[in-house]
Amino acid sequence: MMWETAILIGLLFGAACFLILQASFVRILFGFILLSNAANLFVLAMSGRPDGKSAPIVGVAGAAPVDPLPQALILTAIVIGFGVIAYLVILLYRTFLDQRTASARELFDPARERPEEEQA
Amino acid sequence: MATALLIILFVPLLGAIAALVAGRRLGAQTAWVVLLAPALACAATVWLVLQFAPGTRTVIEWPWIPSLGLNLTFVVDGLALFFGLVVSGVGVLVVFYSAHYLDHHYRDHGRFYCYLMLFMGAMLGTVFAGNLLLLFVCWELTGVTSFLLIGFLHDKGESRAGARMALLVTGGTGLAMLAGIVLLGQAAGTYELAALLDGVAKGASPGRLNAAFVLIALGALGKSAQFPFQFWLPNAMAAPTPVSAYLHSATMVKLGIFLIARIFPVFRETELWSPLLVTVCFGTMGFGALLALMSHDLKAILAYSTVSQLGFLLGYYGMASPAGAQGDFLHIASHVFYKGCLFMVVGIVDHATGTRDVRELGGLRHRLPLLAGITAVAAASMAGLPGTLGFISKEYMLKEKFDYWEGAAALNWYPMVLVVLASVLKVAFSVRLFWGVFGGKPRPELAKNFHAPGLAVQLPPLLLAGACLAFGLFPTVLGGALDRLHTVGLHHPVDLEFHIWHGVTREFIMSMLIVAAGAGTFLLLQLERWRWARVPAWLRFDAGFEAAVDWLPRGAKLLGRGLRFDRQFDFLPIVLGFTVLLLGGFWWRHRGELWPGLPVWADINPLRAFVVGLIAVAVGMVMHMRRWTSQLIAVSVIGFLVTFYYVLFRAPDLAMTQILVESATLLLVLLLLARFPRSAELSEATRAFPVGRQVMNAVIAGGMGLLVTLGALMAMKHKHAEPAGSYYLENSQPLAHGTNAVNTILVDFRGFDTLLEATVLVVACLGALGLLMRYRRTAEEWAAGAMGPAGYGLGRTTDQKKEKKSP
Repeated sequence: MMWETAILIGLLFGAACFLILQASFVRILFGFILLSNAANLFVLAMSGRPDGKSAPIVGVAGAAPVDPLPQALILTAIVIGFGVIAYLVILLYRTFLDQRTASARELFDPARERPEEEQA
Repeated sequence: MATALLIILFVPLLGAIAALVAGRRLGAQTAWVVLLAPALACAATVWLVLQFAPGTRTVIEWPWIPSLGLNLTFVVDGLALFFGLVVSGVGVLVVFYSAHYLDHHYRDHGRFYCYLMLFMGAMLGTVFAGNLLLLFVCWELTGVTSFLLIGFLHDKGESRAGARMALLVTGGTGLAMLAGIVLLGQAAGTYELAALLDGVAKGASPGRLNAAFVLIALGALGKSAQFPFQFWLPNAMAAPTPVSAYLHSATMVKLGIFLIARIFPVFRETELWSPLLVTVCFGTMGFGALLALMSHDLKAILAYSTVSQLGFLLGYYGMASPAGAQGDFLHIASHVFYKGCLFMVVGIVDHATGTRDVRELGGLRHRLPLLAGITAVAAASMAGLPGTLGFISKEYMLKEKFDYWEGAAALNWYPMVLVVLASVLKVAFSVRLFWGVFGGKPRPELAKNFHAPGLAVQLPPLLLAGACLAFGLFPTVLGGALDRLHTVGLHHPVDLEFHIWHGVTREFIMSMLIVAAGAGTFLLLQLERWRWARVPAWLRFDAGFEAAVDWLPRGAKLLGRGLRFDRQFDFLPIVLGFTVLLLGGFWWRHRGELWPGLPVWADINPLRAFVVGLIAVAVGMVMHMRRWTSQLIAVSVIGFLVTFYYVLFRAPDLAMTQILVESATLLLVLLLLARFPRSAELSEATRAFPVGRQVMNAVIAGGMGLLVTLGALMAMKHKHAEPAGSYYLENSQPLAHGTNAVNTILVDFRGFDTLLEATVLVVACLGALGLLMRYRRTAEEWAAGAMGPAGYGLGRTTDQKKEKKSP
């Protein structure tokens, strides 16, 4: 058991949850970035203790290699996570252009009126 | 036989199409084209009656969906033919009447006759249906077409309200009926009526049969306006009078009676049959008669009297012995004759004087002598005076009640008391109906708007009143005809002979006493000046029903508010909080086996622990920083430290990818933040959640973190003995000719997954492109608010908001 890794995952996960629960879209975005890191580390922890092992390159004499499958999965996850983050960034930009706010709380405020400059 | 049935079923539909086509050109004259349809259907029914052998049942089948075993099955027996005759025969009279009644003051004649013919087709379909599901479909079609007919004058609020009420009540109870039909079909294993009538369902469990019966009876009671559904019928009187004469006297409300008669052989022996029908329907009989007495609108009087009479007819089947009913067709025919006639008379009076309030009418016998005669006969039949069909009907009705009384069944006094009470009241309001319109002194204020009706429009009521009189004087003729329609299973094997004079029997004495008491009631109430201003609201039920219907959307809105559908950012804390509680509770219950044990210092790798410490500092910075840019830097620092962590985990590919992605993310988000004005960032402090909410968020987040930590420890503890990865390690070189196992997995072993991964990136790209290309919001979109219009019936729409702003 790797306590330090488990604590790291929990720390990142908790911080991500806290950020995602905020009213600000920017903080929610940061929370999402941390969340994908935490999830990747969780999968990586499955590959077991790396101590005394080598990278998953075969054909090199020496220590036994680590499990390559979690790494392949995470590699995919990193790239897809990046795609989603990029999409979120553009979505946030678009929301701001349309709604003139980066706060979820304000966006869904029923009492909110349209901005003055648009009323002409 | 099949051809005649085809004519009966499809001619009304052709008539509906013809009405639509002809309606545009002919206007009020459309009726003459349409009249052909009911006339043909009626002729075909009569032909069928003459053709078929009394007491038999013919099943006619056409394949419909053979692969599902569904056929269009129709049953031709006495019951179906009797109701077919009523529907098509009264249909002829009503179309003829409408031709004169709906003059050029009305619009959309084509539409009217189209609905009327569709309704008639649905009615005939219900009556002849030989499969319960087909019967249900046609039954609901009558509900829909009657909705269209009642709401025909749709620019009037009361028409719309009445139509909606009729649809909701009959449609809602129809759903109960569907449930009952399915229950019965499942219990019996078939939906075919012929098999069911032959007693297939007899072996089913009594509980199921009882439940099926109650549900089906609910549909019948709703359609026939029985307590507690009686309120829709008076409100449906907002329809044009021909519609009332057709739907609410002769056809649609009789469907409940038809259905009860239809399922009589199936359910008569269930123990709920008699108690349910007798209590509810005879109760409704007395209740309806009382309300009829208290009403002043001629149509309302007739509507409540119909409710009362339908109660009797349904209760009649409830009382009938398991061997079968007797004389039921006589009562139904009698009611059809006089009630159809009276509805038409009321329409003519309304047309001639412009009012239907019995308190404003009077003395019309001089102006409308023929109509007065017609009404006298029909009202006498309703009251059951000797010489009319109503008298014969009442004689047999009382005889049945006496027999039932002597049969010493439970509640044997109940039908007797209510029938006598209702009959007394019926005499009173029959006299009032006639006297209030035609008797008394002529009213000068009626003369102003008066225009005399033509002879032709009085012809249909004249025919019906003539039937009341003729069959009343020569009941054996009707008896002979009804004998032909004798139905196996439903009717008592011993035939009943109708005679005008049975001698001075107890029924005759009772009947005379009832007439005297009714006349006395009428006189007494005349002297008392008929104190009721209207039927009291608490007896009408309709206001309560409307309030309930209005409460439905309000209740839904309240429920939605309770679920916070308009506050999306409350969803996440609820979902996450629930997850924490659920998983945390689970962990706590099984803490004995799940507890990972305290960390051992020797186990902890100092280098990794050092990186974890650095990351923890960066996380603290993310939490602490207020500026977006500083926060982003801290997030990025975490990302790069995670890269280092990958290196420590012997994952060079991951580290390389993470460095690239982390740099790209940093640049992208920086670009985004640069587009935001400073004000957006500064205003965030004012938009932040209150302290209490933040504490709750922190608790939820902390709980999630703790759970994930424990989950990670558990996952590490229970490691699979043979990880799948060893296969790739062994085969990387022999199969994929590569030494880097991670690379061979991605591009060789799981190549398609990687292709799909690339597709995800393309989709994200396209989505982002679409977002960037989107135009600015229009003024309307701004006005609709962040969430757009709330949907029909809830909140303000764009148009309303505009209207408010324009003045």
